[in-house]
Amino acid sequence: MGELVVDKHVKYILSVEKRKDSFESVVLEHLRMNGAYWGLATLDLLGKLDALDSNEVIEWIMKCQHESGGFAGNIGHDPHMLYTLSAVQVLALFDKLNVLDADKVANYISGLQNEDGSFSGDEWGEVDSRFSYLAICCLSILHCLDKINMEKAVNYIASCKNVDGGFGCTPGGESHAGQIFCCVGALAITGSLHHVDKDLLGWWLCERQVKSGGLNGRPEKLPDVCYSWWVLSSLIMIDRVHWINKDKLVKFILNCQDTENGGISDRPEDAVDVYHTYFGVAGLSLLEYPGLKAIDPAHALPVDVVNRIFFQK
Amino acid sequence: MREESMILKGNSLSLLNEFELILESDPLIDEVGFIHPSQFVTLNKEASSSLEHEDANFWSRDHKLAISTDVLLPLYKAVKDVFMHAISQYKSHENLSDASWDEGNLESEVMKHSKALLLLSCDFGTAWNFRKLIVSKKQHMLIFLDELFLSALVLSCSPKSEKAWCHRRWVIKMLAGKCSTMQVIVGKESELVEKIAERSKMNYRAWNHRCWLVSYMTTEQVLHELKKSRNWAGLHVADNSCFHYRTRLMLRIREDHCHKLEDGTSDGNDEIYRIWQEELDWNEALIKCYVGREALWLHRRFLSLSWIRHFTTNVGDTSNYRVCKSSINADIGVFMDNELHLANSCSTIPDNEFEDFQAQAIYSATYILWLTKQISDSQGIELQEKPNLGSLRTMLNTACPERSSLWDISTRISGKCDEGLKENRYQRR
Repeated sequence: MGELVVDKHVKYILSVEKRKDSFESVVLEHLRMNGAYWGLATLDLLGKLDALDSNEVIEWIMKCQHESGGFAGNIGHDPHMLYTLSAVQVLALFDKLNVLDADKVANYISGLQNEDGSFSGDEWGEVDSRFSYLAICCLSILHCLDKINMEKAVNYIASCKNVDGGFGCTPGGESHAGQIFCCVGALAITGSLHHVDKDLLGWWLCERQVKSGGLNGRPEKLPDVCYSWWVLSSLIMIDRVHWINKDKLVKFILNCQDTENGGISDRPEDAVDVYHTYFGVAGLSLLEYPGLKAIDPAHALPVDVVNRIFFQK
Repeated sequence: MREESMILKGNSLSLLNEFELILESDPLIDEVGFIHPSQFVTLNKEASSSLEHEDANFWSRDHKLAISTDVLLPLYKAVKDVFMHAISQYKSHENLSDASWDEGNLESEVMKHSKALLLLSCDFGTAWNFRKLIVSKKQHMLIFLDELFLSALVLSCSPKSEKAWCHRRWVIKMLAGKCSTMQVIVGKESELVEKIAERSKMNYRAWNHRCWLVSYMTTEQVLHELKKSRNWAGLHVADNSCFHYRTRLMLRIREDHCHKLEDGTSDGNDEIYRIWQEELDWNEALIKCYVGREALWLHRRFLSLSWIRHFTTNVGDTSNYRVCKSSINADIGVFMDNELHLANSCSTIPDNEFEDFQAQAIYSATYILWLTKQISDSQGIELQEKPNLGSLRTMLNTACPERSSLWDISTRISGKCDEGLKENRYQRR
């Protein structure tokens, strides 16, 4: 097993933006904002955020803001909560939250809360517990959590809990590690983790570790590097991370690196992408891999960034 | 250089025209796919056609459409450009509320290009949104059904497309309450999920859609779905999503039943008891037939825990269950004896060391520990005579040492009952 090839990953991240020559790279332009967050958060965790020009990024982000206050995935696209959180997170990485009209963004988000406490992803009304997390995390970063009905928001998330201790998209939906991260993260930020049955959920989560050391997101699925983040951060938030084998997971993630050209893939030998590169590095950060910045498991931002937001006026 | 790019642009525009013409000339295309150009030859041979289109960019027959992977990049760029242009025109005229604008024409442009775009980029949210905007202005049943058709076409190529599933839910919400054939639509949706799940295994988005549909089903439909999905689940025992779907259906049936008990239209639990017992028996048969399947054991956790909570009387109630507590006075001790018996019969590992048998042994031991912990945690009872948890723990510690702290806590909780075990019964704490 090798070590984390930091320099190659930095080079890979910087090269992703320039690739416009394949259908696969161009066809995801509608979620470029998420891509920016994955790439830039990775650079920051690796301690290399200064490798690119922040002004250029910030200028582009602000061009993606819609008059409603929400952000789109790219210029000219419709806004959505998914991209709004990524935009705010990237601005936080650069310590540039001050370029935002926080109230305007917060009003966009609070306007998407429904009567039952749930959140729609955008004006078209799809409801998902993921959107509850996006809303709560974003408002927390903006110091605007008072703009929503928190009690109802928390109760809605609690209503998505299943008999196995996990959480689904809506009440009665199947448990999924990604949804669990969102629900546990939102409950952690709002100080409502008492709604989680920690032993029961911890049990389900640690059963996600398969023989190779990797984690899957649901029973019977193959392991995938991205669950190193979703499962691991949830286990940390509910204080059950000692129920999995951390060394085996570190090895699994490192085995998914492209040691020649940089980048991390879902499983060993697969093609790399920026999404899995971020979740691999973020997972290693949670596992306290040497040389990486520590990451906050609820806000999905480096701990120094979170400290700056909450302890510096 | 510039000339070259002009030629490229010209080519991609003719590609775009060709593509949109095919879509318009056959509105019944129900399946689309991207294939390598070399496969066109095979397709033609299979269709026993004498024509050879080796240099063709598209192939279409019997309402199936194939697009050559060679043209995806220029085609996508061209489609996206015309779509973005169409929506900016649409928006600027809409904002001006210009009386003279040709609304119909602009709308059909947006509809045409968004369809082409979504077939190439299934999660392009803005394209779905503009369709919603235009369709909601019409409020016409047939147009809503067209949207379901388009979304199904996109799903034929991208079965995990979140936005395509989401578009279906939006249409159904628009139709709910306004349309007399709601039950038929819901039934067809459920069939579509099954069809897609057949090709795209363990598809969370698809099954999540089916779970979402349950709240739109009548009690009869729910019972029918439970019956119908059993066969499928039996053939796909590793697909956890299908078992979760059955969980969702069973909980809905019990919920409906509780309402009946409350308003006095029913006074017995026999029906619910029968459904649970049948599922437990069937699950046991599957566990014995398909060795080492995690999804089967997880389904059993749900079945057993809810059986204990619902049908046994000497158990601390949680508020959810108090209202419709069963009148069936089942014995928790007898139930657990049966479960232990099942687990024991599954924990023999033959000498040949097949991984499946090892997995089966681990799942069965974990199942007993899990159930024991849940009963003592949430029901406020303790095992008087506990299963031999010590030996289970030793086995699990050897098989999965990384979870040793989990095995410790689960046996510690049950271990409290070491003192004073007398009868083969569970008692209130």
